[in-house]
Amino acid sequence: MSGEERSRTPDRGETATPATPVLRAVGVRKSFGALEVLRGVDLTISAHQVVCVIGSSGSGKSTLLRCCNLLERIDSGTIELFGHDLGDERIDEDLVRRHTGMVFQAFNLFPHLNVLDNVTLGPRRVLRLQRGLAEQRAQEMLARIGLADKAAEYPDRLSGGQQQRVAIVRSLAMGPRLLLLDEVTSALDPELVAEVLDLVGELAHQGMTMLIATHEMGFARDVANTVCFLEDGVIVESGTPERIFGDPTEPATRRFLQRIVDAGRL
Amino acid sequence: MWIALAGHPEEGILSVGKGFLLNIWLSVVCEAIVLVLALGLASLRLTKGPVLLPFRVLAIAYTDFARGVPVILVMLWVGFGVPSLNLAEVSSQSPVVYAGFVLVFAYTAYVAEVYRAGIMAVSRAQVQAARSLGLSSRTTLSRVVLPQAVRNVLPALLNDFASLQKDTAIVSTLGVAEAVHSAQIAGGVEFNYSGFTIASLLFLAVTVPLTRYTDHVMARDRSRRLAGMAA
Repeated sequence: MSGEERSRTPDRGETATPATPVLRAVGVRKSFGALEVLRGVDLTISAHQVVCVIGSSGSGKSTLLRCCNLLERIDSGTIELFGHDLGDERIDEDLVRRHTGMVFQAFNLFPHLNVLDNVTLGPRRVLRLQRGLAEQRAQEMLARIGLADKAAEYPDRLSGGQQQRVAIVRSLAMGPRLLLLDEVTSALDPELVAEVLDLVGELAHQGMTMLIATHEMGFARDVANTVCFLEDGVIVESGTPERIFGDPTEPATRRFLQRIVDAGRL
Repeated sequence: MWIALAGHPEEGILSVGKGFLLNIWLSVVCEAIVLVLALGLASLRLTKGPVLLPFRVLAIAYTDFARGVPVILVMLWVGFGVPSLNLAEVSSQSPVVYAGFVLVFAYTAYVAEVYRAGIMAVSRAQVQAARSLGLSSRTTLSRVVLPQAVRNVLPALLNDFASLQKDTAIVSTLGVAEAVHSAQIAGGVEFNYSGFTIASLLFLAVTVPLTRYTDHVMARDRSRRLAGMAA
């Protein structure tokens, strides 16, 4: 990503100044019962940056993302979103989530609503947009991803790739300032992965700030400004994709990447 | 037989047919009230906040009681007990009101459990997707969870409605002139028990189509899901 995009100031910030990172996590710990999933994670994402978190299943990638939009509460440490402490008792969860889009591995579209209603539900019920306006915007967004003709279809009539693209558009319709993508291609048939990654790549190009948990190393190398390798709840190593994939310094990172190469996935 | 169906007021014979209209009316009105109350009760039981804990405990106690005691017993208890308490207003209602109250009381507990099962069958992922869009817990419930939950349990709801429709016969114990009581009277006066046959046929005329419709809804639902999987 080029320097001039990184230096653009977040234009929709309330308290955020150019220096305020979109997300700043310090010493984040999270346990489920006796299992400590995150064991002191530090992470900073600036506006228009794309951060990819890589690591094996169970390393804590998803949990980290879910803590960023309060689907999970952290046990200790701090996460600040646009300068607001998410650990604050008085924080408005709904407001946090309105500004933080989340796309899930399993799409999670609403099966009882057609594509158009899936996309407009948030804008209409949360942003209080008029139905006509919300639908017009949704149609425009669907047209941009080539799914205008699917607006009236129900999710179960779409392919996995189409569903995931609708899910991304559903998040974008809320105008999020940070997009969290949780292994968005892991549930897809191999031939459908590209259409979803292309869309995410396009968003990166447009300057969307994103935190992406992914197993797609090639994709991470192409779109990320920063790649973080997470193992056993700790960020072992982070840096530019060139450095992490080309010249990792930590033995754990090397072992992980070697396994990926051996599996023929890089 | 015709006398029982149409009635013979001069001889003190009540019309089974006319009585049956009361059964229909009572079941429809009660069902409407039950559907609303049960939804509230189910939602209450699924709340998590500590503030509502006493209400949740009350709701559980009510559900256990209403499902654990025979409807006919509650019917006799309320229908004869409440008037004898000589309370202003409350004790001077028509037996139909007591009957309606008891049916609503009994069926709200059942239907609330049906709703609750339906709500719990909606996956957590759906709730998380909705909340991630910034929808409040309330909007998530009304726009995402409940529409899916009701769809899940529609056959069970129709089933309970058929059951409620039948149980309106218990109202006869309070001397309300619905179909069964009218048939009893006709039998007592004429020594002709065909009134019971007529009442039975009338009940079947409603419950059989309702059951067929339930089957149809279930089949349609299943084929839609299968079509969805094939797509």
